[in-house]
Amino acid sequence: MDRRHFLGHAGALGAGAALARLGMLSARAQVAAGDYKALVCVFLYGGNDGNNTVVPIDSAGYASYAAVRGRLALAQGTLLPLVEAGGAARFGLHPALGGSTGLQALWDSGALAIVANVGTLVQPLTKAQYLAPGSVKPQSLFSHIDQQNQWQASLSDAPSNTGWGGRLADALAGLNAAASVPAMISTTGNNLFVTGSATQALTIPTSGSFGLRGFDNSAPGLARLTALQALLGVDRGTDLLDAAQDLMSGALRSSAVLNPILAATTTPVSAYFTGLTSGIARQLLAVAKVIEARASLGARRQVFLVSLGSFDTHSNELATHDTLFAELGAALNAFHSALGGIGAGPAVTSFTLSDFARTYKPNTNGGTDHAWGNHHFVAGGAVKGRQLYGTWPTLALAGPDDEGSEGRWIPTTAVDQYAATLASWFGVDAAGLASVLPNLQAFAPATLGFV
Amino acid sequence: MLRRVIPVLIVAALSVAACGGGSGSSSPAPPPPAGFGAADAARLLEQASFGPTSAEVTRVAALGLDGYLKEQLAAPATGYPGFVFTPHTAPADCRYDPTAPAGAASLCARDQYSLFQVQRGFFANALAAPDQLRQRVAFALSQILVVSGTEIYEAYGMAAYQNMLLNDAFGNYRQLLEDVTLSPVMGRYLDMADNDKSNPALGTSPNENYARELLQLFSIGVYRLNSDGSLMLDTGGQPIPTYGQDVIEGFAQLFTGWTYAPRPGATSAWTNPINYEGTMVSFPAHHEAGSKLLLDGFVVPAGQAPAQDLKVALDQVFNHPNVGPFVATRLIEHLVTSNPSPAYVARVAAVFADNGAGVRGDLAAVVRAILADPDARGAAPSSSAAGHLREPALYITSVLRGLGGQSDGVYLRGQAAAMGQPIFTPPTVFNFYPPGYQLPGTHTHAPEFFIADAATALARANFVNALIYGGGAPPDTTVTGSTGTTLDLTPPATAADPDALVDQLSAQLMHGSLSSAAHAAIVTAVNAVPLTDGLGRARMAAYLVATAPQFQVER
Repeated sequence: MDRRHFLGHAGALGAGAALARLGMLSARAQVAAGDYKALVCVFLYGGNDGNNTVVPIDSAGYASYAAVRGRLALAQGTLLPLVEAGGAARFGLHPALGGSTGLQALWDSGALAIVANVGTLVQPLTKAQYLAPGSVKPQSLFSHIDQQNQWQASLSDAPSNTGWGGRLADALAGLNAAASVPAMISTTGNNLFVTGSATQALTIPTSGSFGLRGFDNSAPGLARLTALQALLGVDRGTDLLDAAQDLMSGALRSSAVLNPILAATTTPVSAYFTGLTSGIARQLLAVAKVIEARASLGARRQVFLVSLGSFDTHSNELATHDTLFAELGAALNAFHSALGGIGAGPAVTSFTLSDFARTYKPNTNGGTDHAWGNHHFVAGGAVKGRQLYGTWPTLALAGPDDEGSEGRWIPTTAVDQYAATLASWFGVDAAGLASVLPNLQAFAPATLGFV
Repeated sequence: MLRRVIPVLIVAALSVAACGGGSGSSSPAPPPPAGFGAADAARLLEQASFGPTSAEVTRVAALGLDGYLKEQLAAPATGYPGFVFTPHTAPADCRYDPTAPAGAASLCARDQYSLFQVQRGFFANALAAPDQLRQRVAFALSQILVVSGTEIYEAYGMAAYQNMLLNDAFGNYRQLLEDVTLSPVMGRYLDMADNDKSNPALGTSPNENYARELLQLFSIGVYRLNSDGSLMLDTGGQPIPTYGQDVIEGFAQLFTGWTYAPRPGATSAWTNPINYEGTMVSFPAHHEAGSKLLLDGFVVPAGQAPAQDLKVALDQVFNHPNVGPFVATRLIEHLVTSNPSPAYVARVAAVFADNGAGVRGDLAAVVRAILADPDARGAAPSSSAAGHLREPALYITSVLRGLGGQSDGVYLRGQAAAMGQPIFTPPTVFNFYPPGYQLPGTHTHAPEFFIADAATALARANFVNALIYGGGAPPDTTVTGSTGTTLDLTPPATAADPDALVDQLSAQLMHGSLSSAAHAAIVTAVNAVPLTDGLGRARMAAYLVATAPQFQVER
């Protein structure tokens, strides 16, 4: 029995004829090298503890931090100073995020910014307003899935069936008319962030080949492929079956284009990831390969989603953070170094999202619980880095930024503003922002200028 | 438009091997009840088992709905036997050794400190255990009351938890909630184990993890529900939260003071080392002493013992009006359809509230109500929105059972992972897919589609290719009793007649629901294989039916 994997392997015997049958050999537009931008969302699933990500480094600030954090306090001498554009360092990074091969190096090179105390909001909210009866708050605060969805939708007063990455892709679809693959690509499956009204993400694998196996150019092989395709086009008209059929159609189309790109191991970007084996590194390498092939793929605006999980550190937080941050810092450094190496540095901006921050007050298991406003990273050659944007919260239990007494910061910058800043850089004009971020008008200023 | 339904019982199988599930039919079968034909029996087996086998369809059609449910609800659990306690930290001779991946230490690590054996046991049971309905319901429960191999990597721990779900699958939901709450496996996963009372000197508060997820995911959800599962709305048209942060903190305080059971012979102390056997034990000195705010303003008085507090809290949660529609909706989604009608949910929720004998939470009665409901029965669903995508585990087992396959589970555990469902190892307590997931651009609920994407769609087709054209997987010499994974592809008698061949597969795999158009496409392909190549024809038809979206979406 012939078990050649023809669609999954470029150059397999006779693949051309069968590919042509699938309509996959249509001409691809070439894109002017100067008109390409990509946004890369790095979702930290579980709710990252921003309070142990960016830490006050001055004596008084650190002492206050250590007094509350107790056993969770990072040692002062281990924090990686973040020397700001003005010349002083007010904050330090978690050491595992990395110095010369991690995020500190990106910061020092001016390619990393931090946005403080961002979170889900329906409208600006002071503590007094928050505590007042009938205050307008995001739905289901502190719930993982609801807060994930609100970060991804940039809507907090009702469920949404689109995300702001998807709406961005919808808004800029005209720039991607010549693309041979979907404008949105996920390495982490279906997510609201990359769900638009008209535009859906393609999920690509980060290991193994990406293709349909088991076909050849014999008469039965071609007949089987024809029938497989035919089964995707009959019985249309119910949502569930339509979805399953469309999924397979898209998979056949896109995998034929992308598998050779993803399978390549010696392209320039790959060298920057040497020795990095974590899941987040593999995902960012796959994204870098797609960006590397941008001229042949034809898209001018791409939205990517990658993710790293296990940030729900209700217990054993110190060890968990050490592991996750070491992976994250090294992978982001490699990613942006690689893009710089292929001349795409200023064309690509990555940024973090996460469910929520975590309580400043530790719990009894060496962990922290679900909170709200959080600090986030924005990285890339276009970023106005070495700066902290937004408003740093007062780190005090029951203080002016705490919604209660456990250290859950009421956000002072809305997700909408964070998203709008990225969307503006991506090329959405003021009118377009209103459709991509329908609740943006509730906040001022609309954008924060970090990129 | 459906083609005529072929009575499966008179058709020779595609060389279907006897594949389990054949117990309890030694006495002469009574005549089938009116209206319970082979197609309905096959459809019932899609909902109530890990997929129809030819033999089971024949048997169940004869037993009838009531006979089958009665048998299955009484069948004892086939569990995960033979796992023994291992310390949380693996001894040196039981750690993976990259220089000797098949050496004794590496295999010990695989068998004791990963879910390898439990996952393959899952498939072995799903394919061949006689208590199919119990296996199926327990699998659903494992995706509602979630623990995960991301943290519970000791095989004996996961086996203990799954055995508990199997034993409780047809018991009372109140008991299940208590067993889950006091399970050391859950205690470890959601941090109720070793959750201490607040400590002013250390500046620490009780851990909120179990408190929040018990309420949000295991019992009532975040909003008040009507009895038909729809959201209750306030006068302003807004959903009504079931609890606030203050209630989470109250439950977190209540769930303090529990640790693992001591090992036999060891002195029990706060805290005991990780031990997934038995149930957690309480230490009143580490239990938050003050009063605790629970649901709807109810306050537990100060000074009660941990177990006393726990009983009060679980009673309150269990009796919350949301639990019936919440559990009914989850189980219907897993067994029958992603988009149940409100009336269907209400009928099942009513049985949850009262099984007819005044008992609340009787899961056997709930499961019976789900499967016997008019919205589940018949040879085809009444609504075009009915059904659900077969999740990877079900897809795999349905292909194997429908095509006379056998497996030791070794190959299948990896295949399930490639399709997005590493068994008992969802990424978080929110399971592999969220119940509320909707297809993009629609309001159609489709939970299983959350893990359906280009990569996993191709993985499904490539799995079928490997089974049908690649010979499956050989036995694994490092696994005792390994049989590999194979189909029996002896050419069937119908190979010469493509119409009959495709009808037969449609009957076996999808209760005869293949449409005329899909049938025609497959027949055309079968005719491209020479008449003399019976095996080639059988493979062609089986591949196309098993990869067809029409099969993957169970209706």
